[in-house]
Amino acid sequence: MTAVARVAVLHLRTVAPYRTQGLLVCGMLFLVLARNPAGVVPSLALLLAPLIAVHPFVVADKARLETLYAVLPVSRRALVLGHYAWSLACFVATAATGTVLAEVLARIEDVSYGGRTLATILTVSWLLFAVNIAVQLPLLMWFGYARVSVLGTTMPLALVMVAVLRLHLTLGWVRDRPAVLWFAGVALLTASATLAAKAPPGPRT
Amino acid sequence: MRVVLSNSSGVPLYRQIKEQIGAAVLAGDLAEGATLPSVRALARDLRISIITTNRAYTELAAEGFIGTVPGKGAYVLPLDSALVREQLLRQVEEGLQTALDAGRQAGLDRGQLLEILDGLMQSEPDRTPGGPARDE
Amino acid sequence: MTSDLAFALRSVGCAVGGGFALRDVSFELPTGYVMGLIGANGAGKTTMIRCLLGMRAIETGEAELLGRRVPGPVELRQDIGVVLDHTALVGDWRLTEVERTLRPFYDRWDGARYRHFLDEFGLDPRARVRDLSRGMAMKLVIAVALSHHARLLVLDEPTSGLDPVARDELAGIIGDFLLDEEHSVLFSTHITADLDRIGDYVTLVHRGRVVRTGPKDEVLDSYRVVRGGPDDLGGTDGAATLVGVELIGLRRTPAGAQALVRAEEADLLDAGLLVERPTLEEIALHIGSEPSGPVGRRGGRSGAIA
Repeated sequence: MTAVARVAVLHLRTVAPYRTQGLLVCGMLFLVLARNPAGVVPSLALLLAPLIAVHPFVVADKARLETLYAVLPVSRRALVLGHYAWSLACFVATAATGTVLAEVLARIEDVSYGGRTLATILTVSWLLFAVNIAVQLPLLMWFGYARVSVLGTTMPLALVMVAVLRLHLTLGWVRDRPAVLWFAGVALLTASATLAAKAPPGPRT
Repeated sequence: MRVVLSNSSGVPLYRQIKEQIGAAVLAGDLAEGATLPSVRALARDLRISIITTNRAYTELAAEGFIGTVPGKGAYVLPLDSALVREQLLRQVEEGLQTALDAGRQAGLDRGQLLEILDGLMQSEPDRTPGGPARDE
Repeated sequence: MTSDLAFALRSVGCAVGGGFALRDVSFELPTGYVMGLIGANGAGKTTMIRCLLGMRAIETGEAELLGRRVPGPVELRQDIGVVLDHTALVGDWRLTEVERTLRPFYDRWDGARYRHFLDEFGLDPRARVRDLSRGMAMKLVIAVALSHHARLLVLDEPTSGLDPVARDELAGIIGDFLLDEEHSVLFSTHITADLDRIGDYVTLVHRGRVVRTGPKDEVLDSYRVVRGGPDDLGGTDGAATLVGVELIGLRRTPAGAQALVRAEEADLLDAGLLVERPTLEEIALHIGSEPSGPVGRRGGRSGAIA
C-alpha cells in the first residue's frame, strides 16, 4: 500500500511544475460554471477528471519517464494502482474545494440547498468521475498516451451522454439510490484497475 | 610515489608500473614499510584498469618488493640484499647485451669491446670504488 | 547461483523487430570490475542492457543480476544504478525536486551524499534538469545512483557527446565507485578509447551477437591486425595459396589492404605481411565492418589469403 502512495506522490511531483497552469484551468472552469451552485461540483468532476487522469501521462510521455518507472524499485502493479490513487486524491480535493465554492456561491446568490441535495450532487460527481477514470486509465495503460489521448477523454463523455439520453436518467433517480451508486462507482473502478494492471509495460522507447 | 605511464612506449602498462615502483624501492625512494596506494586507488588515479594494476602489484609481491594485505593495501618490504643484487645483475646483463648487439653491427671483436669497457671504467674512477684494479 | 558474479547473461535470445534479434548472447562480469560493451550503433548493446535489467523480456536463455535470476524482485533495483542515453527525469524538475521525488523509493537514500555529489560535480541544486548539458545530466543521474548506494552501475553510452575533460571525469567517478570491492560497472560504448585504459573486461558485439568476451588483455591477445599491399590479402587473381585464415573486416585501398585475423591463425600468414597486436579501436573497426553473419566462428565467408 505504501508503494502505491509513493507512486501517487510521484505523479503529484510529475505534474507539480505545471501547477500554475492547472490551477488557472480550474479557476477559469469555476468562473464559467459559477451560475448554478448545485452544478459546480458535478461539472468540475466531469471536466476535470479526464485532465487529472491524463496529466501525469502527458508529462511522462514527454520526459520518457517509462524508463524511470522501469528502473525505480517499484512494481508494475503499484505503478498502475498509483494512477488510481492519484486520481482519487484529486477527486477528493476537487469535490471538497467545489463544495466549499458552491456553498459560498449559494450564500452570495441567496439560494439554499439542503443536505439531501448535496449528497445527490456528490453522488452524481462521483459517478461522473468514476466512469471517466474507469474508462480512461486502462486505455492509457494498454495503448499509451500517444495513441489514446483524444479517444480516452472523449469516450467517457460520450458514455455519460448516452446514459443520460437513452436511459432517461434524472437527478431524482440518483437521489433515490445513493448507496448503490457509490458502490457501483467503486466496483467500476476496481474492475478497471484489475484490467489496467494486466497491461504490459509501457511503450518501447 | 611517482608513476608515469607512457602510452606509446610499447611496454605494457603493468610492466611500466612494476618497473617504476621496483626502481623506486631499489633507489630507496620508497623506504621499507612505506605504504603504497591500494590497487583500486592506484587504478583510479592512473585511469587504468584494476586488473592491470593488480597484475603489477602481484608481480612486485612475487619478486619480494612489496607485501600485500588483502582488502587493505600494500607496503614496501625490507630490501633483501640478494634480491637487490639479482636485480642489479639483470640490469648489467641487459646493458651489456645492448652493447654487444651494437658492437656486432659495428663489427667489433671481443678485444675491442673490452678495450672500450676498460676505457669507460677509467674515465669515471670515482664511481667504481670496488671495481677492478686500475692500471698505473 | 554464484554470487561472486555481478551479472551474467547465458545464451540469451530475443526478437526485437525489423529482422533484428539477439542470438545466443552470453557474457558475465565478476563482482568488483568494469566491463565495456563495445559495438557499433545498432549492434544490440542497449537491447542487451535492457534484457539484463529485466526491462525487456528474455525469450531464450537466462540472465542473472547480483545473484538473482532476472526478472528478480523489484527490491533488487535498490542495488542498481542505471544511466541510460537520456535522463528520464521531468525537465522542469529542479535538482532538489529530483531528490524529493526519488528518495521515497530508496531504502538507503543518503541526502547528504546527494548534496555532496551535486557539489563535487559542480551541479547547482536550484538548476532545472532540462537546462543541464549532456555531461551534467549524466553526472546528475550518476549522483542519484551513488546516493542510493547502488552496488552495480549500468551506463548506456555514457561518453557519447562528452568532451575529453568530461570523459576523464567520468573515468575518475567510475574509479572512485570501484574503490569498494563489492561494486561493479557495466558500460556500453562505441568509442573504444574510453575502454582502452579503464576496462577490465570487454565484450565485443556485432549484429545482436557476442563476438568475443573476456578480460581485456585476453581479447586483445586473441587478435592480430595484418597489413599488406593492395594484392597481398586475397588478391584479385584469386589464387588462394593459403587457406585457414579468416580475414575479418577486410579493407582494401589502392595503397594497401588491412584485416583482422585470429591470433592462432596469424602464424599461417605470409612472412612479408606486417602483423601487429591490434588496439581495441582496430578490433571494433574490423568487426563492425563485417558485412553479415557471425564473426566469431570458423568458416566465415570473409575470404582467404591469396
